[in-house]
Amino acid sequence: MRQLFLAGLAFLAACLISPGLGQAQTAAAIQPILQDHQALIVKSSRKTIGPAIDAVAASGLPQAQTVLEVWAAKNMWQRKSDGLFFIGEKIDSKTYALTDFDSGESVGEFAKSELKQLKPNSGIRALIGTALVQFQLSDPNIEARRAALLSIERDPEASLLAPLRASIEAESDPALKAQKQRLERLLTIGYDSDEAARLAAIADMAGDLGVDVRATLNPLLTTKRDVVAGSVPEGANIAAILTPGQGDFDRLSAYDMLVAKDLAPVRISQADIRSELAAHIEGARVGGVPVAKLNTEGNRLTAYTALAEAGAVPAFVTDTAIDAALAAHTFFDAYLEPSEAVTDAAAQALKDIELKVGLNQTLDLTLDALSLASIYFLAAIGLAITFGVMGVINMAHGEFIMMGAYTGYVVQQIIPDHTLSIIVAIPTAFAVTFAAGVAMERLVIRWLQARPLETLLATFGISIALQQLAKNIFGTQARPLTAPGWLDGAWVMNDVVSISYIRIAIFILALIFLAVFLYIMKRTRLGLETRAVTQNPRMAASMGINPDRVNMLTFGLGSGIAGIAGVAIGLFAKVTSELGSDYIVQSFMTVVVGGVGNIWGTLAGAAMIGFLQKGIEWMNPSNTLAAQTYMIIFIIIFIQFRPRGIIALKGRAAGD
Amino acid sequence: MSTLLEVSGVSVTFDGFRAINNLSFQIGEAEMRAVIGPNGAGKTTFMDIVTGKTRPDEGRVIWGEKSISLLGMNEARIAQEGIGRKFQKPTVFEEQTVQENLLMALKKPRGWFAVLTYRPSDADLAKVDDLAAQIGLTDQLTRTSGELSHGQKQWLEIGMLLAQEPRLLLVDEPAAGMTPAEREHTTDILVEAAKTRAVVVVEHDMEFVRRLNCKVTVLHEGAVLAEGSLDHVTADQNVIDVYLER
Amino acid sequence: MQRSFIAKNPSVLIFLAILALFTLLVTVMSEGFGVGGISTSFIKTLGKTLCLCLIALAMDLIWGYTGILSLGHFAFFGLGGYMIGMWLMYERTRLIVVDSLANAEIPPTDGEVIDAIGNQIFGVVGSSDFPLIWAFADSLTIQLALVLLVPGLLALIFGWLAFRSRVTGVYLSILTQAMTLALALYLFQNDSGLRGNNGLSGLQNLPGVTASQDYVSLWFFWASAAALGAGYVLCAWLVSGKFGSVIRGIRDNEARARFLGYSVETYKLVIFTLTACIAAIAGALYYPQAGIINPAEIAPIASIYLAVWVAIGGRGRLYGAVIGAAFVSLLSTWFTGGQAPDVNLGFYTIKWVDWWLVLLGLSFVLVTLFAPKGIGGLIDILSDRRAAKEASQ
Repeated sequence: MRQLFLAGLAFLAACLISPGLGQAQTAAAIQPILQDHQALIVKSSRKTIGPAIDAVAASGLPQAQTVLEVWAAKNMWQRKSDGLFFIGEKIDSKTYALTDFDSGESVGEFAKSELKQLKPNSGIRALIGTALVQFQLSDPNIEARRAALLSIERDPEASLLAPLRASIEAESDPALKAQKQRLERLLTIGYDSDEAARLAAIADMAGDLGVDVRATLNPLLTTKRDVVAGSVPEGANIAAILTPGQGDFDRLSAYDMLVAKDLAPVRISQADIRSELAAHIEGARVGGVPVAKLNTEGNRLTAYTALAEAGAVPAFVTDTAIDAALAAHTFFDAYLEPSEAVTDAAAQALKDIELKVGLNQTLDLTLDALSLASIYFLAAIGLAITFGVMGVINMAHGEFIMMGAYTGYVVQQIIPDHTLSIIVAIPTAFAVTFAAGVAMERLVIRWLQARPLETLLATFGISIALQQLAKNIFGTQARPLTAPGWLDGAWVMNDVVSISYIRIAIFILALIFLAVFLYIMKRTRLGLETRAVTQNPRMAASMGINPDRVNMLTFGLGSGIAGIAGVAIGLFAKVTSELGSDYIVQSFMTVVVGGVGNIWGTLAGAAMIGFLQKGIEWMNPSNTLAAQTYMIIFIIIFIQFRPRGIIALKGRAAGD
Repeated sequence: MSTLLEVSGVSVTFDGFRAINNLSFQIGEAEMRAVIGPNGAGKTTFMDIVTGKTRPDEGRVIWGEKSISLLGMNEARIAQEGIGRKFQKPTVFEEQTVQENLLMALKKPRGWFAVLTYRPSDADLAKVDDLAAQIGLTDQLTRTSGELSHGQKQWLEIGMLLAQEPRLLLVDEPAAGMTPAEREHTTDILVEAAKTRAVVVVEHDMEFVRRLNCKVTVLHEGAVLAEGSLDHVTADQNVIDVYLER
Repeated sequence: MQRSFIAKNPSVLIFLAILALFTLLVTVMSEGFGVGGISTSFIKTLGKTLCLCLIALAMDLIWGYTGILSLGHFAFFGLGGYMIGMWLMYERTRLIVVDSLANAEIPPTDGEVIDAIGNQIFGVVGSSDFPLIWAFADSLTIQLALVLLVPGLLALIFGWLAFRSRVTGVYLSILTQAMTLALALYLFQNDSGLRGNNGLSGLQNLPGVTASQDYVSLWFFWASAAALGAGYVLCAWLVSGKFGSVIRGIRDNEARARFLGYSVETYKLVIFTLTACIAAIAGALYYPQAGIINPAEIAPIASIYLAVWVAIGGRGRLYGAVIGAAFVSLLSTWFTGGQAPDVNLGFYTIKWVDWWLVLLGLSFVLVTLFAPKGIGGLIDILSDRRAAKEASQ
């Protein structure tokens, strides 16, 4: 009766106190589980803690996550009086407030001396973290789930496979669900114990371009080089049997492997012979040979053999002996992964992927080349205009590009907003370099008409002066010209193909220039006059066209475009006084290769140089210097076959 | 009279424009020939082809007794074969003296090593004096040729051609920009030259052509329109049409 | 007309006399043989300047006389330096190695000596094997021959390609610039076999010679003076005869020369190769005085400066090239070496180290615009005036 009463009272109390507590108590509390493993938890050793963490994680209680988090954060405290675990919160240096895991209610404040903090070491925290993943994977907060997935991706582990699989079903976000499924496949490939499941997963991921897939497959094919006497051991998953002296597996390193495994006597190198001989000099002779005669390898060997016969030094291992030892052993590469089916499937899958990667790399290379070509086009178009119309090579063209870039920099100092400053910088750069170009035409080039070599040299003088002037004004260190935020980043098609937005913008800019140029040349009065002056200056002059004015405006236009090109180039390259000279030779090449007096020629030239450079770099990626060398040699040879460029004027119009 | 130069079935196209269209032409040794025709008839291009400056698309250019083909030879090689060419504008080496110009043109080995070791002999100098007398520049020998008058330059150029001792002389509008007296002198030089070699004169000026008193070839649109004496061709209806059309 | 060449060209005698006098003066003032008024390092500078005058002669021949503005002749200059540098560096390293191994208990084998030399020379580029191009580095005779052969062959091949396809004018200038850029970029690689951007160093030490630099510098100074004198006579001889007429003819009217029967391409090729060889000799004398050669020396800018010297000195006349090279390069050394005093304007101090290039660039523009004949033209005007005065008297 009394028991019944007490039970009734307890029930009543439970109902009265809080629904939460009631629920917790009905769903069982976590404190007992912790108490079950109290010893292990307090001992806090990485080796033994496993069952405790597993018990908490497997309890299926909602508090389990809190416990693990609090524990890992070193906020779990044990009350010395009864050994119960609580969440501790610091009130002041000596006092901590404790909260119960199950009820979530404060149980009061305690002096620090009455408590013991649990300080899991990093190993334990990692284990806790792994255990926590399953909770995080099902966390109601999508960011937490995303973070959990990311942590698995970074640090995959066999133990994460099960919780990951368990969480897929309930995932509400479709994107995240797909990501989870993908990760599950990858983990299956790497860690599943069932071979069939792994093979199925490999088959699923075959042909996927993701870097993660290759990162999963590649370790499966890791090999270890080994050697045994006789034939290959049973049960090893052999990747290849090696023959010493073939491929990059040379005889001496093969023999050294034998020596390392104590399967053969140590080889005596020339250096060894030398030091042994030095150690055995007896009265100006070694092994009967006079020291002075030891300056040939033959005599040294004779002396050494004599020493070896006398037993003073280890015997010399002859080439015959080395060959015999190599022949008696089998060298092989074995996969670390024991299952042959898995390695075969992985190798096949990788091969398929490589093929697709190759195709995509070609696409990527094409995009790169296109972007490089548009840069060269931008840099060269101004040069092509002045060269085509006036027959003038402007060696200071590169410095106009630099001037444009510095204009962009200065504008950005005044207008901090990047988008606005670029919008202002483009016309400003055009105006500045247009003015500089017009000034140069009026002051210098006009007086050197029909003397192209002199013009080349005079403009070179200007180039030296401008470059040094820029150095004097802006210093030698690079100045930043920052692209607006919306141009940051890249357009990523997949893990292989991507192109940065700046490069896309430059490509579009090049297209705009092409359009504007064509419009000016074909639809405006200036274009008409320019074409007239290009084709026959005397006739044009007699028709009332002022060639001086046309030359001046063309030169200004060419220089102005160089200025805009400078802003564009400054967005991705460093703005220094040498910016122009870095591009000038390529610009010349573009004009020369493309042919003079034709915008399409410049376009073709830029495309050819861009593609050529990228192509050579692709064939010899380690060495961009060599790539440039080969490109220039190619161009010199190209000129042999098309001395007037890709698109050339023919016949009498071409003149001499 | 044996044929010195034979051009047959030659055509050349510039960017779709047919400058020479199936042209055939021949000239014998020691013959004077005038080539006339309206602008764009292909007179200069014809000379370009013979002298190797322009390669024809099709046709043959045969030279001399041995009937060698001039196609595929470069300009210098053709010049060494004995074809001299005078340009429309006077082209002499303006920075050098008349004597140096003529010495350079004298028929001597043209190879660089031979030239390097060459020192003019008395005979060479005498020859230069002769030539200078022929073209009326004896007093001008030590003058820089850039200082000469337009007509004198033209003569110097002709003198240089004669110094080359060519078997065929191609002369492009020699009388352009000359005074009547100068023209007369030029005619004399050419007529004298044609006694020992073939001379082809391209000319606009009918009076000048009449004075040369030789066979005339009329070119039109890159082909031969008529050939014969001046009176014969000027009576030709086709020629009249072409010149009147213009 | 049959007078001797020297008699026809009194300016050659004047030049040789001045050069001899200058050499004597420098020798008398040197620390090695004379009273010591000129420091050894300045003698080196003067010796180097003589070499620059020699390459300026070559530039004048190709540009001033033949009308080909080559922007790549420093490539040949540099290659000449590299060729002699290979022997100097190899031989000196070999002596050092042999010396250091002489005290070893066991005498070294030939293979060990070569390995040690290789380690010494190519250690900086992470290698120790001799590249194929060093096959003859142990032979002074062969390397001396290579001083002429390698640049000459490069000039021959490049010139043959370029002239054959009738590339002229600015096109050709750009191509020659591309050539020197390609070579410089190639040499900048570590696996070029010539120590990448480290270049060859220690070239001022003559292997096996124990005399101090005071004497060695003078020897090279004399050699440079002799080379310049010989080069001047050679160039003067070339341009004074019919060959000179032809190349000037090619410069002024290529078509006329061609239709006179001169193979313009061959002449250009000959003069291009010849000037490349002269440049190579100048380089082979220059770099032992400089002590170090690296690929930066043959960057396109160097060849353009060469054109600047010749233009300022006055092209188309040999003494103009010499004056230009000597004047501008010494001035440049003076300004960039920090010896020139700064000019204080009150609100701004002109540091010549910073402003020299601006000045040079602008003066170059001015010379091109207003004095296309350069300093040599000035001399012409003076001598014409005197001649006129004498005539009137």
